[in-house]
Amino acid sequence: MLGLLWANITAHLIYFRRSRLLLAFGLVFLGIIVLFALPQLFMATKLTVFDVIRIALDEMEIFLVIFSAALGLFLVSSHLRARNLKMVFTKPCPPGLWLVSAFLAAILVSLFIQLLITAVAMTACLAFRLHVQMGVLFVSLDSFAMCVGMIGYLTFLATAMHPVLAAVFVVFFNPSLFYLLRVQMLGFIESGSKNALVRILEPSFQLVYMALPVFHAFSDKTASVRASLRVDHGQWMHVFGAFGYDLALAALCYCLSLVFLQRKRLI
Amino acid sequence: METAQPVIAAENLHVHFRRGLIGTPATRIRALDGMNLEVREGEFFALVGQNGAGKSTAMYAFLGLLRPTSGRVRLMGGAPELGSAIYRGVAYLPEEPHYHLYMTVGEALRYYGSLYGRRVADAEISSALDRLGLGPFRDLRLSKCSKGMKQKLGIAQCLIHDVRVLFLDEPTRGLDPIVVVTVRDVLRELHGRGLTVIMNTHVLSEVEMLATRVAIIERGRVIAEDSLEHLLRSEQALYQVTFEPNGSTPEYLLHAERRGEVVWGTIPAERLHDFMQFARDTGARLVECSLKKVTLEESFMKILKGDSGSSGVPNPPGPIPPEPLKTG
Repeated sequence: MLGLLWANITAHLIYFRRSRLLLAFGLVFLGIIVLFALPQLFMATKLTVFDVIRIALDEMEIFLVIFSAALGLFLVSSHLRARNLKMVFTKPCPPGLWLVSAFLAAILVSLFIQLLITAVAMTACLAFRLHVQMGVLFVSLDSFAMCVGMIGYLTFLATAMHPVLAAVFVVFFNPSLFYLLRVQMLGFIESGSKNALVRILEPSFQLVYMALPVFHAFSDKTASVRASLRVDHGQWMHVFGAFGYDLALAALCYCLSLVFLQRKRLI
Repeated sequence: METAQPVIAAENLHVHFRRGLIGTPATRIRALDGMNLEVREGEFFALVGQNGAGKSTAMYAFLGLLRPTSGRVRLMGGAPELGSAIYRGVAYLPEEPHYHLYMTVGEALRYYGSLYGRRVADAEISSALDRLGLGPFRDLRLSKCSKGMKQKLGIAQCLIHDVRVLFLDEPTRGLDPIVVVTVRDVLRELHGRGLTVIMNTHVLSEVEMLATRVAIIERGRVIAEDSLEHLLRSEQALYQVTFEPNGSTPEYLLHAERRGEVVWGTIPAERLHDFMQFARDTGARLVECSLKKVTLEESFMKILKGDSGSSGVPNPPGPIPPEPLKTG
């Protein structure tokens, strides 16, 4: 079974290495993020070097989360659209195992990039004698937990719908948007609005908000670390909690993806 | 052969497709409509039929790629659950080359081989590729390969792994004649090793060359199933004669056609002696006389025409009833 798993992971890694779509997507997003971060780098002085490292780390973590989401989405959707899974499942390789290998391959790539970002950030901290290595590690772990959740969620969406629809779904159906909408509806109600639509929409938005996955669990608890790159002893619990949450989310998404994958017509 | 285990057994197999979002029974497409079929170990079984007859659907159902609406399929004695251990003995060559196009020829062969749960050695890959003339293209991406090369890759994966059953969906469609001959040779060799082959095809000449048993499918049903030998023998009671008559032609000469001095035609076997006597008596010059060979195409057309007026009740699989001889 391990041999089979490794064979599939190797195949997925070959896909990641050769997918021009993924490369283009990564380069575009990296370009956008670098463009945003570049002015800060030019204005860096010895006094502001901490901020520069912190902002660059933040930007790179955002890039990695988006890129990880793309890994899961592109891998599954491209195989489904190329209809080559029938070559896999008509051999003694069950869909569940293939799906596990897809998750693991995406997580491995994400982990590799995460390690790269962490190593560069830590080296920069050491070079400028900033003793915030634990903070960098904390932010990296926190972001990687998000990546795991994102990979699971996008993999699930890729099995359930067209990849473009999946991307649109993620952009528009995010908990922050529905939280804001709900707060707005609550504001209308508080201000004495008698509109029936508002009274229907408020719980509906609340329901959608509750149903949608939150990728950055305990974000309110870890925000201070992200701002200062300094960790208090008790704050590590939050990052482990976030890992637990995202792993559970990935497991749920795996089960749902498997149901959808088995119902797909692979011919 | 009769005692061999069934590799595939389909019982009253129905596969219906929904047309549109809301499918009613009236608007459903009946791709398979009560198919009964049994393929035994060691057979080279050909599924033939017109476009849309249900050949590919049947193959997908046998492979577990389509779930039957009703009825039962057994593949090597078990239910075809995708990815299950049953597939250890199965290889499948799809009609369209839906392979992992981002891989090279060598990588794909290694990957497909490793999905059978074993490590594929470099030497095995090289040997299989060389056998099919793909050796020089080992490092070429599949996205850059021609259809023929991809088909050869599909065959190569069967050479690498000792499978028991090979499913071929239009294996030579769109291939050039040289590749067709290569593929045919390899298939003959694999079948010679005891492999059971199930092939979908439109190319009847290919079936004649390779198959041992044939099922003709029409509107999702098996309308005829028999050994190729029997299908081709069904009209061997006729002789094809070519002669230069010296005046009249005998009245029992069928399908007579005159081109200048020469007459072509067929005669019933029981009148062969009379015809020889006629030639001697009238001084006709006999150019050629041979047992009439029936092509599969002729049998196929006859069976299909015979079925066109049927009431839609599925015919039970079995020998084809003897056809009445056509008269001139």
